[in-house]
Amino acid sequence: MADLRLENVSKRFGDVQVINGVDFAAKHGEFVVFVGPSGCGKSTLLRLITGLEETGGGRIFIGGADVTGMKPSKRGVAMVFQSYALFPHMTVEDNIGFGLRLAKLPKEEIGRRVAEAARILQIEDLLERKPRQLSGGQRQRVAIGRSIIRDPKVFLFDEPLSNLDAALRVQMRLEIARLHKRLGATMIYVTHDQTEAMTLADRIVVINRGRIEQVGSPIDLYDHPANRFVSGFIGSPAMNFIDVNEHGPENCTSLGAGSASIELDGCQVAGATAIGIRPEHLELAGPEEGDFPATVEIIEKLGAESLVYLQFDGSDLPLTMRTSPEHPLCAGETVHVRFNKDRIHFFDRDGKILNRP
Amino acid sequence: MVDAAAIDRPLRDFNPWPAVIVVCLVCLAVLFLAPTLGVLLSSVKTTRDIAFGELWTIPDTLFLGNFGEVIANPAVHRYILNTILVTVPATAASIALGVFAGYVFSKLPFRGSDVLFLILVSGMFFPPQVILIPLFRLFNTMGLIDTLWPIIIVHTALGIPICTLLMRNFFATVPNALREAAILEGANEWQVLMRVALPLSLPAIAVLATLQFTWIWNDFLWPLIFTNSDEKRTIMIGIVNLKGQYSVAWGVQGALSLIASIPTLIVFLFFQRYFIKGMTMGAVKG
Ligand SMILES: Nc1ncnc2c1ncn2[C@@H]1O[C@H](COP(=O)(O)OP(=O)(O)O)[C@@H](O)[C@H]1O
Ligand SMILES: [Mg+2]
Repeated sequence: MADLRLENVSKRFGDVQVINGVDFAAKHGEFVVFVGPSGCGKSTLLRLITGLEETGGGRIFIGGADVTGMKPSKRGVAMVFQSYALFPHMTVEDNIGFGLRLAKLPKEEIGRRVAEAARILQIEDLLERKPRQLSGGQRQRVAIGRSIIRDPKVFLFDEPLSNLDAALRVQMRLEIARLHKRLGATMIYVTHDQTEAMTLADRIVVINRGRIEQVGSPIDLYDHPANRFVSGFIGSPAMNFIDVNEHGPENCTSLGAGSASIELDGCQVAGATAIGIRPEHLELAGPEEGDFPATVEIIEKLGAESLVYLQFDGSDLPLTMRTSPEHPLCAGETVHVRFNKDRIHFFDRDGKILNRP
Repeated sequence: MVDAAAIDRPLRDFNPWPAVIVVCLVCLAVLFLAPTLGVLLSSVKTTRDIAFGELWTIPDTLFLGNFGEVIANPAVHRYILNTILVTVPATAASIALGVFAGYVFSKLPFRGSDVLFLILVSGMFFPPQVILIPLFRLFNTMGLIDTLWPIIIVHTALGIPICTLLMRNFFATVPNALREAAILEGANEWQVLMRVALPLSLPAIAVLATLQFTWIWNDFLWPLIFTNSDEKRTIMIGIVNLKGQYSVAWGVQGALSLIASIPTLIVFLFFQRYFIKGMTMGAVKG
């Protein structure tokens, strides 16, 4: 049974259609990440699910029940806000127990459940503090504590890590993954960071301009993107895109690059106007086997691998290549590069992926 | 080594403005403090001393008879009680109305609420003289003249613009996410206001309480218009009424003036500890 189901959900603010007919279902216990660029409507979608924003059209089901017109607190969802939204005048204990106190639960039960949540999140010794006496990571935990104590059907996270520094972000990411394992609850997690999406998700929903572009497992999206947007958005560094020349030779894909062109023999898909290739699917080769010569512009040595930023000779087309750090490259050098032809993606005029024959 | 030129420079570039400003401030301070000093001095002197033109001298002995006379006077008790009966409800009511209106304007805006807000706030710039006679006639028809009701009502109404303005602007600094988090936790709008927005707005409440209390306590105009019997007068009118049949009782008036200013002082001292900034710090980010 689906814990969360969206049916043709849409929302407009004034003249702007922010959410455009979204259909989606999350299975029980699934960790789903909504990912997309800033302003694509991720937060709005979450707010529609919570009921903080009224739906413009469509229906929302949580735990099988239609909650479309229901009050936010009755929907069985809990949300961790991007800004944490802790009540500054209350102690951590009161923040976590706020909802239970509103529900007029007995004091002992509130105390017991707050202690339990604090234990899970390892914030037992912070219970007496006010939010301003906490670090960013601790505030984050308190915010999560406030959500888990209500035992919701669906957890919603709106970019929960974006206010943390890089090291803490990686740590909290792991903790959220652990929390998900431990609670086994359905979680919807919103981020604009595709790395977060790739590492956390059971399933990723890529959103662009209020529409779902593609839904799938991280590897699925990485290996089989449905279109050019997903191809460019998932994966870091991003996929390289090169336009296809209209009047290339027969049985060959001719790639345009300024005055120069690259001919990929024996590899053609009818109707393709562009190709995409991931940085790891470009490789160094000898002058004979290489598909084209390029100039090394910058090398980023990351230790386990190196990112090489190349420029096609005779054009200003930038390309990124991922290589092992053993290659002794230096900037300004001319190298020969080969495509891994099995891993080339072909796109039509509308950016849709084309199946290879 | 200190550069000799660097020391000389400030002398050459003598800036007269700080000195001018200090002189101006001192003049203003003297101007404002002189009446207070006069009242203070007159309160500890006998009417006789004052009549002989001894007002501005420092007395050799403190004469506390004026205070004794004021404190023992039952009319004064009545004035103070009346003033409390006017000031406390009017202060509380105007702040309460300002809180509700301010919350709606900042967190629950509706179509046309901005215009309504402007109209409401523009009420602040209305000279009271304009509404004086209509109000008198209104309360007269209602049979409320020479009761405390008109004073309470008018002060409550006149306080609404400033209270609404201040509360709206303060509530606007309370992040919307806090309201939404509370609503998700099951709070209704009233609970959001009472448990989240209001506790975070204590500085604004403290400022308003001090302002409104002082303003209403010290008001002379409205009690003068709406009351006429001595039993319904408030303290500011009481000070004026406290005179002998043939002479002005400077000393007694001075003593009562000082006593009359004690409550506003207490209110200020009580609320000033809430005049702190950054109550919302730590709510988001940080
Ligand atoms: N209350 C609102 N009124 C008008 N426009 C809004 C409102 N909330 C969001 N938007 C617009 O909707 C779009 C999507 O916003 P949002 O969901 O916050 O994006 P994201 O979270 O993906 O960055 C943005 O263009 C934003 O300006
Ligand atoms: Mg957002």
